[in-house]
Amino acid sequence: MTVATTGAGALARDLEAIVGTAGILDSAVSLRQFTIDGVEPRAVVMPGNAEEVAAVLEYANFAKLSVVTAGGMTHQHTGATPEQIDILLRTTRLTGVEHYDAGDLTIGIGAGATLSHLNSLIAPHRQLFPAEVPDPDRATIGGLLATNAHGPLKHAFGGSRDWLIGVRFVTADGKLAKAGGRVVKNVAGYDLMKLLIGSYGTLAVIVGASFKLFPAPRRTRTYVSQFATLDEALAFRRHIMRSPLSPLALELVSPHAQVVMTGDPNALHQGWTVLLRATGSDAVLGRYRSEVGNAAEIEGEDEAKLWRGLAGFPDKVFESSQNTMLVRLDLPPTEIASALAAGEQAATDNNFVLATIGRVGIGSMLLAFCPIAVDPPGVVQFANTISYFRGALSRHASAVVLRCPLEAKRHFSVWGSSPTDVDAMKSIKAALDPNDIFNRGRFLF
Amino acid sequence: MRLAAIIKELRRIVGADSVLDQPEDLMLYEYDAGLSVGRPGAVVFPETTQQVSAIAKLANRENISLVPRGAGTGLSGGSISRDGGIVLVFTRMNKVLEIDLENQRAVVQPGVVNLELSNRLAGERLYFAPDPSSQRASTIGGNVSENSGGPHTLAYGVTVNHVTGLEMVLPDGRVVETGGKANDGCGYDITGLFVGTEGTVGIVTAITVKLTRTAEAVETLLAVYNTVDDGAKTVAALTAEGITPVALEMFDGWTLKCVEEATHAGYPLDAGAVLLIELEGLREGVTEQAEAVRQICMRQNARDVRRAATAEERALLWKGRKNAFAALGRLAPAYYTQDGVVPRTQIPSVLRFISGVSEKYGLRIGNIFHAGDGNLHPCILFDIRDPEQVHKTHEAGREILSHCIAVGGTITGEHGVGMEKNELMSLLFTENDLDVMKRVHDAFNGRSILNPQKLFPTPRSCRETNVLMRPEPAKVGAR
Repeated sequence: MTVATTGAGALARDLEAIVGTAGILDSAVSLRQFTIDGVEPRAVVMPGNAEEVAAVLEYANFAKLSVVTAGGMTHQHTGATPEQIDILLRTTRLTGVEHYDAGDLTIGIGAGATLSHLNSLIAPHRQLFPAEVPDPDRATIGGLLATNAHGPLKHAFGGSRDWLIGVRFVTADGKLAKAGGRVVKNVAGYDLMKLLIGSYGTLAVIVGASFKLFPAPRRTRTYVSQFATLDEALAFRRHIMRSPLSPLALELVSPHAQVVMTGDPNALHQGWTVLLRATGSDAVLGRYRSEVGNAAEIEGEDEAKLWRGLAGFPDKVFESSQNTMLVRLDLPPTEIASALAAGEQAATDNNFVLATIGRVGIGSMLLAFCPIAVDPPGVVQFANTISYFRGALSRHASAVVLRCPLEAKRHFSVWGSSPTDVDAMKSIKAALDPNDIFNRGRFLF
Repeated sequence: MRLAAIIKELRRIVGADSVLDQPEDLMLYEYDAGLSVGRPGAVVFPETTQQVSAIAKLANRENISLVPRGAGTGLSGGSISRDGGIVLVFTRMNKVLEIDLENQRAVVQPGVVNLELSNRLAGERLYFAPDPSSQRASTIGGNVSENSGGPHTLAYGVTVNHVTGLEMVLPDGRVVETGGKANDGCGYDITGLFVGTEGTVGIVTAITVKLTRTAEAVETLLAVYNTVDDGAKTVAALTAEGITPVALEMFDGWTLKCVEEATHAGYPLDAGAVLLIELEGLREGVTEQAEAVRQICMRQNARDVRRAATAEERALLWKGRKNAFAALGRLAPAYYTQDGVVPRTQIPSVLRFISGVSEKYGLRIGNIFHAGDGNLHPCILFDIRDPEQVHKTHEAGREILSHCIAVGGTITGEHGVGMEKNELMSLLFTENDLDVMKRVHDAFNGRSILNPQKLFPTPRSCRETNVLMRPEPAKVGAR
């Protein structure tokens, strides 16, 4: 194999030979739109099928070029700043449906398909794919898996880990491979689905995935409960979790998060909100009514709007300020109170206000450290905030900075520590991507 | 080092009474609950993680294989030594280390028996959801290795959906932790990857599991049909109506009769098929759903839909299900249970295919299975003393599983691959697929110290892999 070693033009020509003119972008203007953390890719390819992905990777691996995989580019702000991006590989042309029989409640689809596209295929059959992400028209299946993104329905349906049943991917050396299959129960072979979920494109390029689907709830209702303090809201959480109720979602919204989402400063005085979403017949919803006590009820379009708004929280906080720091916090639920107290303290000490939402039942939270308008925080204060905050967490918790200003990123690790043995992770990375072509320099180690 | 010297060293690590090496003792560890056989060189009962680590270092140094084993209830030979190595039995590491009610987690040693954990939690209205039929005996460590499921997998998932953290000893003796009590964590989900690796990458020494809230109300229905097809169509109709039972089990008429004769569970003796349907949830919802399910069954030509009126009646219906294979076992000297899975819509046609296989080989095949998720358990009855029947049985099994693959399914839904189905892996997976899995294997167990000759197919030539043949296979007992 011959490989261009000089100049972006030569690289683009080599890639074009693999993917054709339809699969390559190389004008300086087009490349600039794909800048990640200020780093512009030398070439952008959009392979039209898995075989082309394989050929691109074989080429890149041979030349030890760095490859960043991208779908809708909705989460590329996460991770350390890349040193160099030789090839940005977009999966957006890999959108074909591999299998869908509504009677099987499973679907297999290309990694580049958007969430909206998938939802449009299954909606007529009254089926549900329980992932909610901020930007479903852009966010892709591959990106959803690579970032282990999730939304409020995770409370009832679990995450990708619980409904990804098969995956097709291409290895760093350009081999097309798969794991799992298209049936809902399958223990044959290693569960590489789990390995690829949340691996942020560092192990392989996902080209297709099969999922378990669920019957869509026929009717839902949301009970909105307000509490003066976080402690009261958490007491309500305990009450619900100990009860026989099985809500679809149980979401905590802090006073500041309410302000961010409604744009109404008075929302601050409403205190802490817990949203409980339930499904069932009149009798079942009546039972929820009696168990949740003094709560407002929302149904129909208002309800749908409320939950869309919540899914859009990450975008909303950056609309109010580009200098926000968004942190994903996964932890045992009993540690939520102390973690949020530490977050408040860190925010106050460093000129932020903290807006929090999250799956309070299962301990998956989003914390937005929003800069105050007067005397906004300097770069070191971002580092101080996250460092203080992480210091207050137990070994079970992870606090990953999903997004923050680029200048601040250079002063700390966006990933933080992991409850999982890092050497074990490194062994797997070395086994699957020995030349470190995937997302070089951006991951945890 | 000779085996005798290795055994001496093992005794030094775990104590003299924790090592077995006499033929009459070793014989007991030749089997699991399936058909595979292999005599270990020694059996060891570790009590601490440190002992397991010391044993792994010894095994690594002496190039002798290690096979972890729980209660030996597996069905695919996962806990059997194929090359006379050391079997590590975890029954003495059976402590519940922590119960965290508020976070709905327990931390257990691998030897804790599945049902015992749930029993300990009964007063708290919590339980450990994975429910293999062996749950009275099988250990959670074994469940983790095999990624076990059961009837309620339909609603609650297999073991991996209930494990958030592991402590493991790697083949080089290193002790590592992955995950913890949180649902997710930063970095690779090595916990999820390792569950179901059948003891081929690490030895699990502690497990953090999720605890599930016990439902307020349960309804168990028995729908009786004249034909298997009507039962299978009901499965599709329930799905189409958006009803998700927590369990949906099917028996064919012949199996039903055998089970009834053995267990007196109250199943009809003259039916073509029955569905055992379980619903869980709030009282209000379950009662309504049970009525909806009854109507759907009747529309699919059910002859009768019975409802378990009491906890005893419910237990009896389940007793018949959980003891079904044993009941079939009364009819022939041996039986061989398959574990194929097919897309749910394929169930009727695959059942017809199985009945064709039964005729072709002249072997009786009973069907009792997890209809809701398409996990079939055709149970082939045969005489293990008749070599021709044994041969036919294996051929029939292979034909059924090949058909499952052909219609988009898989070879195992919950029993694992082990040494029983490893040769079938190449029907399901390409060389590339297996190569990626092997790279992950070799990243931890490159010398195949742990559970060699399992899960991966025998390579066409030995140069390709050391998964099956360790570089210098230990000739145990020989100089």
